[in-house]
Amino acid sequence: MTEVNHASKIAEIIEAYPVDQRFALAAMQDMQHAFNYIPEEGLAALAEYLGCPQAQLYSMATFYKALSLTPKGEHIIKICNGTACHLRGAMNLATELKRDLGIEPGETTENGEFSVELVNCLGSCALAPVMVVDGNYHNKLRVEQIPGIIESYAASGAEEVTAND
Amino acid sequence: MSDMITVTIDGIECTCEKGEYIYDVAKRNGIKIPTLCRHDAFEDHRACCRICIVEVEQRGRTKVVTSCVYPIDGECEIRTNSERIQEERAVLYALLGHRAPEAELIGKMSRRLDMSGFERLVSIDNEKCILCGLCVQACNSLGTGAISTVLRGTEKKVATPYDEPSKFCVGCLSCANVCPTGAIEYSQTDTIRTIWHRDFELLHCAECGEVMGTAESVRHAVGPDGELPTICDACRKKRLANEMMATYRYV
Repeated sequence: MTEVNHASKIAEIIEAYPVDQRFALAAMQDMQHAFNYIPEEGLAALAEYLGCPQAQLYSMATFYKALSLTPKGEHIIKICNGTACHLRGAMNLATELKRDLGIEPGETTENGEFSVELVNCLGSCALAPVMVVDGNYHNKLRVEQIPGIIESYAASGAEEVTAND
Repeated sequence: MSDMITVTIDGIECTCEKGEYIYDVAKRNGIKIPTLCRHDAFEDHRACCRICIVEVEQRGRTKVVTSCVYPIDGECEIRTNSERIQEERAVLYALLGHRAPEAELIGKMSRRLDMSGFERLVSIDNEKCILCGLCVQACNSLGTGAISTVLRGTEKKVATPYDEPSKFCVGCLSCANVCPTGAIEYSQTDTIRTIWHRDFELLHCAECGEVMGTAESVRHAVGPDGELPTICDACRKKRLANEMMATYRYV
């Protein structure tokens, strides 16, 4: 995405909302969705549009886990670390992912392909341990299945992958 | 007035209006409730340090409330220093004291209380901030909203966006002056003030030579089209008084 495109996309997102501070979070979510993170210029532009301090938006952006100020990977892997998943070895999945991808939860691979996140209960405790990749649920996981799943996403690129359990 | 209420605070009868905060009524009647995050300059109180807790007995029930934001809604008996309050306040001092071990004020305020039994708490090294957010409130109302609380949970702190020097900060020191524990660091030489990673040039009074503030903060005070003053407030008043005397021959 070129610089100009970037700026015009930001403007497009922001101007879809009325000038009112209560839309700040919605606009930031849209930015997160469009760019996989909230660019600094996006934050500045939104602050100017809404007429509120940039620091206030920064505060919100750092508070919510759904918002990121650094670019996230193309595929986002969420490991459920709720009670049931934790007991059934969610941390082992995280360790396996670290072995495969070389990143800790909360980090993004250097090539920008994968981000790993530890999340709280995803509400599928009966299927523990659960891992969600790009919105697809992989449940009752065993550590041995992880490399295969990673490979399928790495190979598929943008292609749709159906959940396999 | 019809909606005046009489309450008893530590045995003293006090008259107040409905909706007044306990802290204000107590203060007016010479009863001092300790607090860290309360500042008279603001109408909204943080109610964050919770040191100002008091016991309220109303209709036979007793509860502990935060006096800086608890509006009195009827006759009641308030105790600001009962045994229960002292005990609970000691816990609060202990928690804040371990959160901000460098803040000497907390130690001073708690020295009369029994502070034993908190040995298991772990202190945060070199921390002075109790995260009350007064500085953010001050910056939003007096300054330019250059700082805010960032992150959350144990990582929460007060900072400028991206921890970079803020182009909106005017270096007015409102944040540092309002901080109850003196946690906001800044340094100042004869000509430069450094705060929030940024250097500001200082303006001096043309008459007495005292520091008037940073160029940016003086500009912020007079507005974008205002005329920049060359002399400080004290000298301006003195000059005005002299003019008056010259005009009217007497004061």
